[in-house]
Amino acid sequence: MLEIIRIHNELMGTYGDRGNADVLKFRAAMSGIRSRVTDISFTQVLPRTADVYLLGGAEDAAQALSYSALAKSKALNSAVSKGAVVLAVCAGFQIIGNSFVANDEKYSGLGLLDVNTSPGKNRLVGDISLDSEFFDESLTGFENHSGATTLGTSVMPLGKVIVGNGNGVGDVDGAVSGNVFGTYLHGPVLARNPEFADLLLERAAGEPIKVIHDQLADQYAKWRRAAIK
Amino acid sequence: MANPRLTFAIAVAKSAGFASKLIGNKGETLPGRILLALEPEAISLLAANKKVILISGTNGKTSTTKAVATIVRQLGNVTTSGSGSNLSWGAAGALMSRAKYAVLEIDELHLPSIIAQTDPEIVLLLNLTRDQLHRMHEVKRVSDRWHVECAEASNTIFIGDIDDPYINYSIANATNSVRVSFGGRVHPDGAACPRCGSYLKWVGSNYSCSCGLTNKISDRQFKKGSAAFRNAALANVVGEVLETKPIKFKETELERSITKEFSGKKAHFRLTKNPASWSEALSAEHKSEVILVLNSRQVDGIDTSWLWDVSFKSLKGKKVIICGERGMDMAYRLHVEGITNTLANNFDEAIALVKKKEVSVLAAYTAFFELVM
Repeated sequence: MLEIIRIHNELMGTYGDRGNADVLKFRAAMSGIRSRVTDISFTQVLPRTADVYLLGGAEDAAQALSYSALAKSKALNSAVSKGAVVLAVCAGFQIIGNSFVANDEKYSGLGLLDVNTSPGKNRLVGDISLDSEFFDESLTGFENHSGATTLGTSVMPLGKVIVGNGNGVGDVDGAVSGNVFGTYLHGPVLARNPEFADLLLERAAGEPIKVIHDQLADQYAKWRRAAIK
Repeated sequence: MANPRLTFAIAVAKSAGFASKLIGNKGETLPGRILLALEPEAISLLAANKKVILISGTNGKTSTTKAVATIVRQLGNVTTSGSGSNLSWGAAGALMSRAKYAVLEIDELHLPSIIAQTDPEIVLLLNLTRDQLHRMHEVKRVSDRWHVECAEASNTIFIGDIDDPYINYSIANATNSVRVSFGGRVHPDGAACPRCGSYLKWVGSNYSCSCGLTNKISDRQFKKGSAAFRNAALANVVGEVLETKPIKFKETELERSITKEFSGKKAHFRLTKNPASWSEALSAEHKSEVILVLNSRQVDGIDTSWLWDVSFKSLKGKKVIICGERGMDMAYRLHVEGITNTLANNFDEAIALVKKKEVSVLAAYTAFFELVM
């Protein structure tokens, strides 16, 4: 059973990112993988043994709350040290870095990705597409943030920005280290990019997964790629 | 009117509006635009002679403004906003009238500035939830601005539905307020306290925070009800403050809904524009065939990510037909939720696929206006 945990969605779910879990479960089923999505709220204990952890976007106060709980429990850090897969979007991406700022206060971050985020000059809002070496086709999504994220030396970007802004520093979006993925792409990103969902499933399974044929998913992804270029 | 520049500006704006209507335009924002271009202070100058009532919130602005106008007409002549024209130009255009009362729908981001300019008698605040995030960015950002302006406007009476924590926070420091509760309701974005940032403690549909923000203490209580019921009640609270008789509205009068015939089929349209209004519309849906129309122009919200925050489960077992510029986003969203649907190329194709004589149409803002107006 593939265990997928959606972390603090009541706080970290401002921009529809809860859909990432739904898409993972949906595609897992199409690939013959049994999976379960569990919502862990701010007041619950985060299990250390799940296969995939998902974090979404949030407003500042919610982001600070979520961070405080995750920093205290260290469960996510523990899971990552055992190889768990993490997809963190926007405010979630900032939380798992080395530092970020919320409501003018600096936080040290969970340190799962070697990135630092500081408030940017402008809010970056709009369609975005990336050229990523993880995928044959470009990734698409929607960004809506004001953080500017600088990559450290031990991470690689998720992709090079074709349209939009991404991290707001350099021409790249996101960061990847091992099985930990951070990005500014909403959409939700796994709904817009089914091959990204499959990569996460493959990483969680530790082996190639059975090829998925979902015509509507492919058609949707192709249509968004054509629209954002 | 002693101000010659204002008098001149009004004359030009009115004739431009008249000319625009002659050539077939609706002419709702043009006069206001011209007025403000010729006299930037027009809103405050014109508001000085009127009793101004403003209505704002994420959902229900237009229909509640109509209801408030109906109530206030018992007291005298009323000028009110044109349908949906809720920015500065709309307000300026409406204020050109000689009516004693102005009942104006105001966009959430424009509200603080319009309050400052009009020094209103009453401001009615309905609700604040996620909407057009490409423009609003965050719900908290809007309520922070309201909070500051509501505390400033010491002559104004603020009426607010405090079951919404963002409204409660907005009017928390107002000098005069009527805090209305409908026995609580769950808020989709209410996990963090808008005032202090703590994790907001919810018991069922009621909240109370360690900082004191709660919906349990209110000035006026009603029973629970639909959004239409709440907005009708809130409109009547405006009437209470003005000491007029209450008016009993049908709930359908407070919904943005309309029935129109298409190729012999009755289509019941309802305006749906963000997670809260979609959820409200879906919960009331009882037809066996439903058409969903999704666009993503500026007023619809250019990002469609929010579709994943709405549960479409109640559509299971119905015949669901989807169209609109972003129909494919909706089709894939429902596909993942396990709801069989058919994606049509346009509304004509969608209506042709309807088997029965009646169909429900849940339509995004721009689609609603294009199809029914």
